[in-house]
Amino acid sequence: MMVLIILTAAGILAMFASVFNGRSVVLPVSLSGLFAAGYFALLEWNTNTTYFEAMRMDNFAIAFTVVCLFAAFVFLLLYHYMHYSSDVHYAEVISIILFSLAGVVVMVSFTSMLMLFLGIEILSLSLYILAGLKKKDLLSNEASLKYLLMGAFATGFLLFGIAMLYGATGSFMLSDIAYYLGLHKAVAEPFIVTGIIMLMIGLLFKVAAAPFHFWTPDVYQGAPTLVTGYMATVGKVAAFAALVRVFQLGFSPALETYQFLFAAVAVTTMFIGNITALYQKSVKRMLAYSSISHAGYMLIALMAANEVTNGAVLFYSIAYTLASLLAFAVVAILQQKSGSDEVSVFNGLSKSSPLMSITFAVAMLSLAGIPPTAGFFAKFYVFSAAISDGWVWITVLAIINSFISVYYYFAPVIASYMKKGNEEGIVLATPVKVLLAIIALLTLLIGLLPGSLSYLI
Amino acid sequence: MTAVAWLIPLLPLLGFIINGLGFPKLNKKVAAIIGCGSVLASFAIVCSLFLQSLQTPLNHRIDLYTWIAAGNYTVSFALLIDNLSVIMMMIVTGVGFLIHVYSIGYMKEDEGFGKFFAYLNLFIFFMLLLVMGASFVIMFIGWEGVGLCSYLLIGFWWKNREYSAAANKAFIMNRIGDLGFILAIFMMFAVFGSSDFDKVFPAASAFTTNDSIIIAITLLLFVGAIGKSAQLPLFTWLPDAMAGPTPVSALIHAATMVTAGVYMVARSNILYSIAPVTLAVITVLGTITALFAALIALTQNDIKKVLAYSTVSQLGFMFVALGTSSFDAGIFHVMTHAFFKALLFLGAGSVIHAMSGEQNIRHMGGLKKALPITSFTFLIGTLAISGIPPFAGFFSKDAILTASYFNSTIIFLLLILTSVLTAAYMFRLYFMVFWGDFRGTHHQEEHLHESPQSITIPLIVLALFAAIGGFFGLPEIFGNHNWIHHYLSPVFSQNTRIMAHADSVMIEWLLVAFSLVVIVPVMWLAYQRYALKTVKVTLSEEQLPFWYKLSLHKFYVDELYDYGIVKPLSALAGLFSVAVEKKMIDGTVNGLGSITLFLSSQLRKIQTGNTGFYVFAMVAGMVLMLLFALAKLNVF
Amino acid sequence: MIFMEVSSAAANTTVANYLPIVIQFIFAAGFVGTTMVATHLLGPKLQTKKKLQAFESGIKSVGNARQPFAVKYFLTAILFVLFDVEVIFLYPWAVNFMELGWQGVITMGLFMGLLLAGFVYIVKSGALDWE
Repeated sequence: MMVLIILTAAGILAMFASVFNGRSVVLPVSLSGLFAAGYFALLEWNTNTTYFEAMRMDNFAIAFTVVCLFAAFVFLLLYHYMHYSSDVHYAEVISIILFSLAGVVVMVSFTSMLMLFLGIEILSLSLYILAGLKKKDLLSNEASLKYLLMGAFATGFLLFGIAMLYGATGSFMLSDIAYYLGLHKAVAEPFIVTGIIMLMIGLLFKVAAAPFHFWTPDVYQGAPTLVTGYMATVGKVAAFAALVRVFQLGFSPALETYQFLFAAVAVTTMFIGNITALYQKSVKRMLAYSSISHAGYMLIALMAANEVTNGAVLFYSIAYTLASLLAFAVVAILQQKSGSDEVSVFNGLSKSSPLMSITFAVAMLSLAGIPPTAGFFAKFYVFSAAISDGWVWITVLAIINSFISVYYYFAPVIASYMKKGNEEGIVLATPVKVLLAIIALLTLLIGLLPGSLSYLI
Repeated sequence: MTAVAWLIPLLPLLGFIINGLGFPKLNKKVAAIIGCGSVLASFAIVCSLFLQSLQTPLNHRIDLYTWIAAGNYTVSFALLIDNLSVIMMMIVTGVGFLIHVYSIGYMKEDEGFGKFFAYLNLFIFFMLLLVMGASFVIMFIGWEGVGLCSYLLIGFWWKNREYSAAANKAFIMNRIGDLGFILAIFMMFAVFGSSDFDKVFPAASAFTTNDSIIIAITLLLFVGAIGKSAQLPLFTWLPDAMAGPTPVSALIHAATMVTAGVYMVARSNILYSIAPVTLAVITVLGTITALFAALIALTQNDIKKVLAYSTVSQLGFMFVALGTSSFDAGIFHVMTHAFFKALLFLGAGSVIHAMSGEQNIRHMGGLKKALPITSFTFLIGTLAISGIPPFAGFFSKDAILTASYFNSTIIFLLLILTSVLTAAYMFRLYFMVFWGDFRGTHHQEEHLHESPQSITIPLIVLALFAAIGGFFGLPEIFGNHNWIHHYLSPVFSQNTRIMAHADSVMIEWLLVAFSLVVIVPVMWLAYQRYALKTVKVTLSEEQLPFWYKLSLHKFYVDELYDYGIVKPLSALAGLFSVAVEKKMIDGTVNGLGSITLFLSSQLRKIQTGNTGFYVFAMVAGMVLMLLFALAKLNVF
Repeated sequence: MIFMEVSSAAANTTVANYLPIVIQFIFAAGFVGTTMVATHLLGPKLQTKKKLQAFESGIKSVGNARQPFAVKYFLTAILFVLFDVEVIFLYPWAVNFMELGWQGVITMGLFMGLLLAGFVYIVKSGALDWE
């Protein structure tokens, strides 16, 4: 609860700072808000504190909260150093980020489906606005509007699903629903099946799984690159945490109703994401498809629904978040400099900015799942979750997909090391450099020492 | 002190990170202080562990971290501190530190100074991991790591294509061996469910002698050792590896990395004692390697190549020790060899330094006047390796010979022959380099100078150890008890299937007498031939006797590999590339690739940008999912 | 915990039980379909060129539709709606005033405070300045 209050208060303060000529205090206020929120979240480790029978800060919730807070921290710093002087809405953007984090906290800690809805809406509304930040840019406008329309439609599904489940079980509480499902073995009851599928669709939309992913490439490309990074990390991770939470805590007794659906969606998502990514010339759009495919991998862990699922999803989320932050940060910096997000802007990057090229390479290696990066163990844990329950065929398909992905992940890396380009040095602010280096090192460190993270929750 | 033992590998790693990240910016002095200081600090901790181990034998496992946890298999990042690993750590950090100091002087003109120290520190880190790991997996990480560092350092002067080729050769040959190692680890996981020493060894003790599974595991492990320790048939990379800077040759290709195979076999002595068949294979292969390499060393003209073949030969000795189950003698020889071979290599480096990069001994001669310290310490190294009492090499070689005597007379005689050859090629080298007349160019003669202190001090320290190091393992006949035997007995006495050696008073006296009776005349012969007579600067191939040519051309092993393996393989590859690859594989792969790309170009088209279509897709998806679910749940 | 009365699971796994869902879908699709068909049928159809033109006070339309226009009216209207809707929350509170007691007053004070903060922000950022 403290976490929510702090984040909201920090958001309001940041917002007011802008109208009372206090631009310079925005960053300190928001960063201390993030740190305080993280601190209070960690204070509740192992306590399972419940609030109003609607939220529970269990270790799952805290872990995902901290991951999202970290991603937001990186985003805030990058935004500060890239747009402090150029964006008149600088303070508003930061306050919207803070508000959206309040939604994230609700999304990862809910125990009642009403709170799930509330959290998703708080986050989504913030993201709709953020997608349209560049008011004079048609693509950005389009992204915002499309996201809003499609999002509203998905919310319709979600609410419909919640309503049906309420109708069938008489409760919004996950524990009650699980109790009901276990008691009645109600795996094929009309309202249960339809409700679960509807709710699933609403959430699959948010994590951008096929065939509910169509908004992703358009929105990711139209939105300002840093915002895309924020959507692809915090937005996706929070939505995934919500998906895992609702299915693991609420619906697991009805596993046979939805397990094969997740399998089908996971396979479709991986193939559509990876295969379509092959053809993209814009790195940003490529990353959008890549984020679709990663949703597919994570769905495999969720589908397995065994004791390692939560740990595997958390590990994957961390690895994916770190690598995506790096990737989007580098693309954003290059785009700000050259005005383009084509693969060709990477030409000669190893000369003009060795740090950016090496960190980007680390990010791509991690996303492609190549040791010794975190991404390798992320996939390893997901696959071992599936294998241990005998899902061999889906693991084989996933491994084929990882191979496909190497092709497009390496294109910009090859461009930055093998091709000649503008060798004029790119100057980065020191904190940005440090940030990039730290994230890259974390990616490697987790890849070298994956042990303790894997059974955190 | 065991509480801070994790610092021992960590400090060199930190040194690597600092030097590695900062090498373009740090000045050379700082880089040198960081590089040497980190190893010295590790050495200090190791020393305190060593002192502790003298009072009570150590056997301490440090669980640092659960590295991988997947289902039932966990691999924890654990270090093992026992007497065996402590003595190896002493060698690695002690000799390693001296070579670091030496490198300050040797590399001071090089632009890659900081990078060099970074690589050296990384090497020390991996080597420590190798000897400290408490499971085969951790050992394998170190094993791969030192291979990587060796590759980086052999190819340190990568602008020379030949040097990069040597680096590649070393890497590939090591990979062949590593395949054996990794298969052995897989087998261990399959059979014992773990690769931790404290799980594998007790579990293995339950197997009967010569159980086929244990034989398979030990043979596979030994294949790994063959690659790393340059035994027949995978030894040709080591002489080529001399392309690296001389401190690298001393540290990696003489004192530490190449002895990793010996350490690994000694560490798994319990497994090997269950598989006498493997031990016999090791003995035979070790003997042949020792003799073979000594024969080649007789005629080589490159100062570093002679030492490289001598290393291969000495490694053969060590494996014979292991094969005859006297593991402590093997480790003892690892130790003394580290002293005198590092000394010889560093001395060679000092000579090369003085000769402005010249490595051909036919162009040297008479250097003892210009390089008095180098010459004197090199002589001590030569005496030690030749097995003249009371220098270090005598005692360790003596222990091996004794062990082989009780094993097989043929092996014993072959090793005696090898010892004589060792003395012959080493004194040939010594006299050709330091005695007689100078045969180089006038320009080189003017430049002759003794090396700076950072080079000579390590030489003197190592010479001291090469002289007295043998007293750590004084045989019983000299009244004292054999210290190293007792020191290592907690590790090696766990295996109960090895027969105790009979008392060897007679054979030991015989060996002392032999050294004096046979080796001293060999020295005299070498003196006559290479110090008093004029040595030819160039050899004309036609006049050489057949045996000389055979030895000079290294028994044509490289050519044999080239014609027997590389050429047929490339021919086969050529054939395949035309017939199979172009048509079938390329066709299939390219086909698959183009199908994927085609799919991609088609799939891209459904991304129309039309929101109406997106909504339609969502609804269609919902209907499909619903139908799928109903069908699966047998509702229809 | 209140559960609705349900019959045993076995009885629920036939197509017949899905009838309510099917009806729901038919209604949803039917409503959309009916409305679309009805508008087509009911609306007068006079598709001349002039009819299809954008209506701009009788003046001929020129240029691109994507032109900047004054959003002040729109902004004011939306802000009004926003605050108007928020004020609706006062009604349920007023009805339950006595039951909620001081706790209600505090909560409502907080709510109104936040609303006011929003208002201050709007005023300060100049959203209501006409010029």
